[in-house]
Amino acid sequence: MFSAPSIALYIHIPFCETKCPYCDFNTYSQIEPLMPGYVVALIREIELWGDLLNHPTVRTVFFGGGTPSYLPSQDISQIMQSANRSFKIETEAEVTLESNPGDFTSDKLTTYLESGINRLSIGVQTFDDQLLGVLGRRHTAQDAVDAYRMAQDAGFDNISIDLMYGLPDQTLEGWKSTLKKALELQPPHISMYCLTLEEGTPFEAWVRLGKMSDPNPDLAADMYEATQDTMRDAGYRHYEISNWALEGLESRHNLIYWRTEPYIGVGPGAHSYLGDTRFANLKQPREYISRLTNAADGKFDLDNVNLDDLKMIIDIVPVVDTTEHIDRRLAMAETLMMGLRLDDGISIPDFNARFNQTPNEAYESIIADLTNLGLLKTSNDRLFLTPRGRILGNEVFSRFFE
Amino acid sequence: MSSDHADDIRNFCIIAHIDHGKSTLADRLLQATNTVDARDMVEQVLDSMDLERERGITIKAQAVRMSYTAADGQVYQLNLIDTPGHVDFSYEVSRSLAACEGALLIVDATQGIQAQTLANVYLAMGHDLEIIPVVNKIDLDIAEPERVSLEVQQAFGFNADEVHMVSAKSGQGIDELLQSIVDRVPSPKGESDSPLRALIFDSKYDPYKGVVAYVRVLDGEVSSRGKIRVMSADKESEILEVGYFQPGPTKSTSLKRGEVGYVATGLKSVGDAPVGDTLTMAARPASEPLTGYETLKPMVFAGLYPADGEEYLALREALEKLQLNDAALTFTPESSLALGTGFRCGFLGLLHMDIVQERLEREYDVDLLATSPSVAYNILLTDGSEIEIESPAKLPQPQRIEDYREPWLDLSIITPAAYIGPIMELVQTRRGIFNKMEYLQYGNSIVGAGDGGDARVLLEYEVPLAEVLMDFYDQLKAKTSGYASMDYSFSGYRSGDLVKLDILVAGEPVDALSIMIHRSEAARQGRALVDKLKELIPRQMFEVPIQAAIGNRIIARENIRALRKNVLAKCYGGDVSRKRKLLEKQAEGKKRMKRVGTVEIPQEAFLSILKVER
Ligand SMILES: Nc1nc2c(ncn2[C@@H]2O[C@H](COP(=O)(O)OP(=O)(O)OP(=O)(O)O)[C@@H](O)[C@H]2O)c(=O)[nH]1
Ligand code: SF4
Ligand SMILES: [Mg+2]
Repeated sequence: MFSAPSIALYIHIPFCETKCPYCDFNTYSQIEPLMPGYVVALIREIELWGDLLNHPTVRTVFFGGGTPSYLPSQDISQIMQSANRSFKIETEAEVTLESNPGDFTSDKLTTYLESGINRLSIGVQTFDDQLLGVLGRRHTAQDAVDAYRMAQDAGFDNISIDLMYGLPDQTLEGWKSTLKKALELQPPHISMYCLTLEEGTPFEAWVRLGKMSDPNPDLAADMYEATQDTMRDAGYRHYEISNWALEGLESRHNLIYWRTEPYIGVGPGAHSYLGDTRFANLKQPREYISRLTNAADGKFDLDNVNLDDLKMIIDIVPVVDTTEHIDRRLAMAETLMMGLRLDDGISIPDFNARFNQTPNEAYESIIADLTNLGLLKTSNDRLFLTPRGRILGNEVFSRFFE
Repeated sequence: MSSDHADDIRNFCIIAHIDHGKSTLADRLLQATNTVDARDMVEQVLDSMDLERERGITIKAQAVRMSYTAADGQVYQLNLIDTPGHVDFSYEVSRSLAACEGALLIVDATQGIQAQTLANVYLAMGHDLEIIPVVNKIDLDIAEPERVSLEVQQAFGFNADEVHMVSAKSGQGIDELLQSIVDRVPSPKGESDSPLRALIFDSKYDPYKGVVAYVRVLDGEVSSRGKIRVMSADKESEILEVGYFQPGPTKSTSLKRGEVGYVATGLKSVGDAPVGDTLTMAARPASEPLTGYETLKPMVFAGLYPADGEEYLALREALEKLQLNDAALTFTPESSLALGTGFRCGFLGLLHMDIVQERLEREYDVDLLATSPSVAYNILLTDGSEIEIESPAKLPQPQRIEDYREPWLDLSIITPAAYIGPIMELVQTRRGIFNKMEYLQYGNSIVGAGDGGDARVLLEYEVPLAEVLMDFYDQLKAKTSGYASMDYSFSGYRSGDLVKLDILVAGEPVDALSIMIHRSEAARQGRALVDKLKELIPRQMFEVPIQAAIGNRIIARENIRALRKNVLAKCYGGDVSRKRKLLEKQAEGKKRMKRVGTVEIPQEAFLSILKVER
């Protein structure tokens, strides 16, 4: 049996009520009729993985999307039941669900709690109603506050909110006031993302065609720096480039990504990382559903499968679309790329234990260069970014891919 | 009497301004003589290089043999040479002329005489060729065959009945033209019993056959056996094959007096059988070679560097191979602080440079970085000696320089009279000197419609080559709605008030960005360059000043502010590969940049000088 260590489980929900014009996630609006079939297919994929990996321990579960809160809460509950049948979800596991502020009702929240969801991530984005309009969001700033309170009242104490800065025509003052309103809620965790113009999105086209003002990168830098100060004063730990948390309330699921530890992603377009292989599911929900539904009525014949062989395991899953072999060299670079995003960076002994080489041995001149440039620092057996290195992270990470 | 058929041979080339339809006319001739099967026929069949087909222009002259049965039943051997129209390749025209007794002069019925029409006619007259004027494209609605015919008659002194009216597209008038070729082009002269003298008018390197010389036999005969001698180069070699083009190479037992064909020499370098040299038989050599051609001098120089420094040797090999087929290309090793090691290459003009670059990249798969093209300068030093400088970076210290001399051109422009003003202005901003203006006339009337504005004018100027190099042609076309055409030839070196403009990035001079420029233009150009570089060089992790300087004097400056933020915000759903690919792309982009001191400069910056507006 391929011995899967304890893993993280990502569950993709590819539905949104409307598609936001800046978003390039694998998510769709106007395909709600697929929801029931989708839940059936998703459960099949979960159970298949459970069998293939012999029901491994799961440390964290993350419902992402898309908008998981847009799915009927009974469906979430069913999916969680199947996850519990298929995996050994630790009792202390972090189980997060991404949500939009407008979607909550107290019944829904109760169902979530009963299904085992213990952390909510709310897509607030900004407390500026006008900018919410620009972003194509359907909620108001007040809706966001109400949603937050409702979640608290329902019994959620681990809540994260997502904010965006560097938005078109957003001022530094405007951003500070959004940040202030966010802090008034005293959330245990805040993710703050700078808007990136993703290829193929309406935002990118509007900017290219001059219909929308190009976000100013220097202003975004000002916002980021202001954010760091404000958050420090408010007692948050800036534990990852875009993430702040009260001590001990960091996102454990995302930490698994940043530490390049194994995870399984289910649903269309979801990515997985097991052993030395990363693979991704096909992206089309319709195709995803049909492949899982048609496959022998959902019964997979595992008798002739050598479950010691990861490649064979992956081949069984009818929705895996691409696989990528991550060799040692690539794994080292990726470990740095991901790990250096964290405030405490990389543990040199851990790195050495995993790759039989310290980062310095593997990238001597590059690390020396980056250290000289004041972007990287080594101390107490750890390698991490300086404050300047954090804001110029890509200048550091890209060096490991030369 | 002669043992050959020279009386039945007609050798002619097709000359014209660019795009007037030479290659298309050749298609029709090939078809009318059944030289090419209908099913093998493609448009401009003689333009066989990929580049020629893509760009729709002829780059290399092509010789082809046809067999034509005239009205009286007599069979003639016609040797046709199709030539390029672009001014960069006018040397191909000159060479072809020397292999012929006649020339078809094509003039586009929608455009009339253009600058290269004139230039080519003068060349043909210089070679004493029988010129047959052909007004082409008469099928087009906007064609003005009568007017253009009159223009041709008047300008070159033909009678109306000597001018052929054809459509190379439909084939109209082709039969009459073939008959005219037979009737009017003289048969080759020369001595069939004398020792062989064959003029090499072109050559090509073939990996199996060595240098294949394209020849015109003047005297005697070359057979497929025996030893050949290249007279001036003093090289001998066993003949591997002789033949002619139809249009594919076709072996034959010999080439006789008056014939055009090829000799595969097995020689290893085109330098061993240079164009213009004379072939003779080693066993029975001629005493005097034929008068050859003036050796070609490149006019335009630029550094070519491998984008990836490790490809230096590959680039050298590619240049060597390309030179085998392109005698006009020169190269010498050069090194630059910014770009590493590469070559200073000489070209006939910008189109030639462009084509060489493209062939290197395409046929030899080397990624290139080209510096801004410049002309060669003739520098008089204070000690009285003279040196030739092909790169601004090679200039001696200013205190050692007595005088700068730059190449000048005779420039002729043909334009509708309405655009004389703008052209005068344009040439003036390029330091041009006006010489002469002449209306193209016939009888008492001026060519063109009656209202003066349409009348066509020949303008003649002298102008520095450096001023014509960059965007002169584009500007000319822009200012005349595309109606003006131009032609030029090198006239000599003249002293000029020139300065070297250096570009400093973060305080370091970037040798590859230095240019020579007239003092009066330096301030404007310096500013334009600095602005352009500011646009092109991405922000770095520290502030980067960009300066333009003449000697120690800074004449323009801009700062590129430091990059403040560059980090991917988010990684969602564990899609690490995607994030990694972005970074790999960034790393790849960096790899393609050139490092000057601590600054990464993208390759486009080195080309930007080309595109700076004036
Ligand atoms: N309508 C029409 N078009 C023609 C005729 N002859 C040539 N053309 C077109 O004119 C264009 C140029 O023709 P080419 O034969 O390539 O001209 P060229 O003189 O060989 O051009 P260069 O070799 O680049 O100097 C092509 O698009 C031809 O199809 C003609 O008689 N009638
Ligand atoms: S709600 Fe979220 S996932 Fe859905 S379209 Fe908007 S940004 Fe994308
Ligand atoms: Mg042609």
